[in-house]
Amino acid sequence: MMRRRGRSVLRLAVLAFFIFLVLFTYSGLNLMNVDLGYRQHEQLRQEARLRLEIDALRAQRAELLSLERIERVAREELGYQYPQPGQIVRIAEADDGR
Amino acid sequence: MVASRQSKKRFLALSLVLLAWVLAIVLRLFGLQVLGYTTYMAKIRAQTNRVEELHSKRGTITDRHGEILAISLQSKSAFISNKDAAQSLNVLQRFCQRLPLPGVQRAAIARRIRRGDKFVWLKRKLTDEEYLRVRPLAEDAATAGAVDFLDEYRRVYPQGTLAAHVLGGVGIDEQALGGVETSLDPEIKGRGGRLKVLVDARKRIFQFRYLQQPVPGRDVHLSLSAPLQFIVERELAAAVAAHGAAGGAVIMLDSRSGEVLAMASCPSYDPEAIWNTAPAVLRNKAISFLYDPGSTFKVVLAASALEHRACGRQETFDCHGGVFAVRNLRITDVHPYARLSFDDIIVQSSNIGAAQVGLRLGGERYYDTIRRFGFGRRTGILLPAEENGILHPPADWSGVSLAFLSFGYEIAVTPLQMAVAFNVPASGGLRLRPLILRDEARPPEERALAAGCSEQLAEIMSAVVRRGTGTKAAIEGLEIAGKTGTAHKVKTGRYAGSYVSSFGGFFPAADPRLTLFVIIDEPEGLHFGGDVAAPLFRAIAEKAMLHLGIVPAGPAEGGVRL
Repeated sequence: MMRRRGRSVLRLAVLAFFIFLVLFTYSGLNLMNVDLGYRQHEQLRQEARLRLEIDALRAQRAELLSLERIERVAREELGYQYPQPGQIVRIAEADDGR
Repeated sequence: MVASRQSKKRFLALSLVLLAWVLAIVLRLFGLQVLGYTTYMAKIRAQTNRVEELHSKRGTITDRHGEILAISLQSKSAFISNKDAAQSLNVLQRFCQRLPLPGVQRAAIARRIRRGDKFVWLKRKLTDEEYLRVRPLAEDAATAGAVDFLDEYRRVYPQGTLAAHVLGGVGIDEQALGGVETSLDPEIKGRGGRLKVLVDARKRIFQFRYLQQPVPGRDVHLSLSAPLQFIVERELAAAVAAHGAAGGAVIMLDSRSGEVLAMASCPSYDPEAIWNTAPAVLRNKAISFLYDPGSTFKVVLAASALEHRACGRQETFDCHGGVFAVRNLRITDVHPYARLSFDDIIVQSSNIGAAQVGLRLGGERYYDTIRRFGFGRRTGILLPAEENGILHPPADWSGVSLAFLSFGYEIAVTPLQMAVAFNVPASGGLRLRPLILRDEARPPEERALAAGCSEQLAEIMSAVVRRGTGTKAAIEGLEIAGKTGTAHKVKTGRYAGSYVSSFGGFFPAADPRLTLFVIIDEPEGLHFGGDVAAPLFRAIAEKAMLHLGIVPAGPAEGGVRL
């Protein structure tokens, strides 16, 4: 009699354990899902921010490399002049390929 | 026994209380979860669900080497939430202390505040530096809540005025206002999207779903070369200033592909301030300036005469000592000649000789060549506001039309049409549609001139630069083929005393790489194409050839001196 009662308590305990396990797993997965949502959105935001930063840097680079600016710097700050005719000499390539 | 009964009663009472409590909770839950489900779900959704508008970003425009010509950057726009006019006016005053606004703009903002507008822009599309100056206002206790910022995209042209007329520009709401920004707007602007998000109590997004996927604007790679464009613009501006001219235009084509390597129109403007620019300045002269081409058009006449074998190259024509009359109209030459060969008519640019050749050729045959060279219709370049030009069919010609058309009058063309025509002998007789995009689909080639004729035409054009009217375009060691042009301008329906000077050509003549066409509008003093436009052609050509590594032929020993 006692053994039969003990067995049904054990069965109930196992059943309760599995029910709790399922409930915890479900809640855990839900929490994980929400957490992943946060992280995914954060990554997307970061990606967007980095893209904007890259664009800003590309624009800055283009501005710094603009030929109008380079010419101004060359002429006004470095005192360069456009070469006069005859100043540029292109040496013919040597026949032996050197 | 009594005690046991009492405790049973207490237990029962407690159980009833607990039961009532549980029942109350159940009823409340039933009310919340079942009866009030719709209402409360709506409230929760209002607090946690949000739909975010995703703005589309315009595509980046680059030159053929990938150098950025236009790009959209995110920027902040400042606005006032006008709940209290007095406070808002105070905010405006403090904003202006940090970032002065023009008086008219400030007055307009104050007027809107007093009128009671709830949302008033202070300044849109702030630069980073401007934003840093006014950002403290949003954190200051006295102004916080009244002033705030929105994210918007700002179109930036990092190369300044470079290629302004090709690029165009955009308005304050990123609407296209000209150039490729307009012609390619459907592809460049992209499409905004909508994002449904779930936010927590701290407004952090933990779930999102696209209601509409944003489509970013397509990046566009132009065929322009920034260094060549820079050279062209600088030399053009210098020539226009030196001759006190009203303006000018230059087109540089890749002779082999028809790609536009540079296109400049003077005066230029800043694309970032396009809304502040006079309409006349915005006009791209390269594609919308209509003028009588004058002697540069003799190239088309020569092509037609060669193609139809109207005369031999050494056959001579009577040039009547510089004055000739067709019907009652006088045709004159700048330099009088008794007789000139066909080649020399082109080389010395004789109007009388050209008229004689034209009359020999006949209207129908000449008209056919003119059409095949692409006149009287748009070239099809992907830029807005291109003009067709004016070309009347032979049936509408007067008795003098053929003679005058032979030296470039009674027809109106654009500089781009002329550049395309000059590219015909450079490309072995093909008429190539000018391409403004690097990856643009190439239309089928159209043959405008037989290959043999195009070689002969190139020879004649080389002689123009070597010993004719175009000697000021010559570069030692580099064979240039070209033709000068000087034409009276039409003003209020009559030929006026002002001129358009032009020069078109290509080089190296034996294996053309670049085709260049330049015009100077209303130069003061010297006005002949050979004096005004040819030196500009040379100035551009000598710098372009250095850039492209085109080396002039020179003495074998000691290298080549440029």
